[in-house]
Amino acid sequence: MALLDPVSRNYGRLKNYVNGEWVESASDKVLDVRDPATTDAIAQVPLSTKDETRAAIDLAQDAWWSWRETAPGDRARCFFRLKTIMEREYENIARVISQEQGKTIDDARGETRRCIDNIDTAAGITTLQMGYNLEDGAASNIDEEVIVSPLGVFAAVCPFNFPGMVPFWFWPYAVATGNMFIVKPSEQVPITTQYMFKLIDQAGFPPGVINLVNGREDAVNTFFDHKDVRGISFVGSTPVAKWIYKTAGETGKRVQAQGGAKNSLIVMPDAVLDKTVNNMLASFYGCAGQRCLAGSNMIAIGDVAEPLLKKWLEASKNLKVGCGLDESSQMGPVISAAAKQKVLGYIQKGVDEGAKLLLDGRNIKVPGYEKGHFIGPTVFDNVTPDMAIAKEEIFGPVVCFHRMKNLDEAIEFIHKSPFGNASSIYTQNGRAARDFRYKTQCGNIGINVGIAAAMAYFPFAGYKESFFGDLHGQGKDAIQFFTDKKIVITRWF
Amino acid sequence: MIQSEFPECTTFGTLMRFALELERVAALVNEELASDPSCAAGAETFKALAANHRARVALLEETRREKLNEAVLEPISDIRSADYVVATDVPNGAGVKDSAMFAAKVEETSARFYTDSARIAKSILHGAVRIFERMAKENLSNKAKLEAL
Repeated sequence: MALLDPVSRNYGRLKNYVNGEWVESASDKVLDVRDPATTDAIAQVPLSTKDETRAAIDLAQDAWWSWRETAPGDRARCFFRLKTIMEREYENIARVISQEQGKTIDDARGETRRCIDNIDTAAGITTLQMGYNLEDGAASNIDEEVIVSPLGVFAAVCPFNFPGMVPFWFWPYAVATGNMFIVKPSEQVPITTQYMFKLIDQAGFPPGVINLVNGREDAVNTFFDHKDVRGISFVGSTPVAKWIYKTAGETGKRVQAQGGAKNSLIVMPDAVLDKTVNNMLASFYGCAGQRCLAGSNMIAIGDVAEPLLKKWLEASKNLKVGCGLDESSQMGPVISAAAKQKVLGYIQKGVDEGAKLLLDGRNIKVPGYEKGHFIGPTVFDNVTPDMAIAKEEIFGPVVCFHRMKNLDEAIEFIHKSPFGNASSIYTQNGRAARDFRYKTQCGNIGINVGIAAAMAYFPFAGYKESFFGDLHGQGKDAIQFFTDKKIVITRWF
Repeated sequence: MIQSEFPECTTFGTLMRFALELERVAALVNEELASDPSCAAGAETFKALAANHRARVALLEETRREKLNEAVLEPISDIRSADYVVATDVPNGAGVKDSAMFAAKVEETSARFYTDSARIAKSILHGAVRIFERMAKENLSNKAKLEAL
């Protein structure tokens, strides 16, 4: 066992970071933050009040014009400094993520890299935010240009599965373009954001530019109620994403709301089976299945079903489940007792629906972590499209194995899902891959890749009920989301 | 005897941990030999190799930091740690020839480890392949230097 030391065993009562200062919340509502592997309380997070949230927004708005007037090159320098600090702190960040979220340390290191990737990308703001112009664009001697301008204060409401990365899909682009930002982390995993803000504090962003408000519904409602919040970025479940989208419409705010998923991975008869199985392990079991890009339905086409299933079961049985900070663990726990109960409920539902439970992860025991929220790899065979386990988001390490005749049948099944976040195909046939890419209505397509996760310089979001909004997170989409275009038509007499 | 802890290689993290342990042990082996009076004729070479292995730790840590992409991370099952564990009972007073052979064996095992790791990295983390290949090449060059003593 290669068990790594956590950065701390208890992070105490967490604070808000507002206007460049660490502020204790006066809220009497405080939750324990628990390590999902041990269930030990490792921090206490206050649920900030509406007044505290409002004050953070007011202070950000007051400081906005000064940041808006800061030259993009100077803004970029804050990001370069932050990058240097984050590279230095890389391993500590990863350990905090692993400890509070439960994911394996390698997963957490990969997540940390994605945070830094977004800083790298946002640091290129001097070119990303450029407008464009056309001499004589309006008429002879009358020029026309587009200026890309910031809007003011934005906020993000973040999920529990990527405590590091998700805020970084948004705030670097908002801040780099000259906006102010408030991050509200998930109350289940607020420590990573707290840790990140200690680094942000060192990077020299002016007070008020980037703020942290811990909390839950009172903070979120205040974002909507406050006239100065110009837009909201959200990642979470589909019901909440829908509510966020609707409420943003009613309150006149920009919105990008990423919801749930039910992703299918198709294995064609000509797939390179060993590599396919190995790659799919990361998709179905990485982050204990709690990725919005995680595989959930595995669809075997034709006669690949039996050899695939045999290899899959063997690999699944050999997967080492354990504490994320144990470097040899290949899968960690799910986030909470409630999350575990939900997944166990789906496993029972699958049994009740008549699917064949080939591998049952319900009673797994992890030595030394008996109280942890672990679920072992679970595999259902004979899953049919009408079953709840085939249609609904389970968000756990549960594989629903389907057998289908051909690619068209598989694509039709994918299209019947209300979700459209991701899907993948494993094949050596370019034509099949091309058809799949062309026809499949999902926001992220993998070809021999089980987690089609967009890098920082590409946009990330799904289709259908996996995303509500227009402009995606990250990359150029993020620049557009956080800015408006101003047309200037100029004539000199 | 140098204390060492070589993990099973089941993940990219443990693969890198194994590599870091190899480098730490290799550095200590060479440092011990450099201070052995019976190896005085090879002291400069041992010192240089120890420094080389210390420097490689930083390179490995940088690789882990910069090349790791969790989207293509896969469990590792086809590398048996026991095949690459190096001897840590450094000879004392054995003379430069035998001592150099001992250190050369460490380099040879390391070269094999990095060559095999490069093959594995091809499917999981292509960015690490070049680094591993470079390490293996360097190990073989180190081995040649030791064999020439």
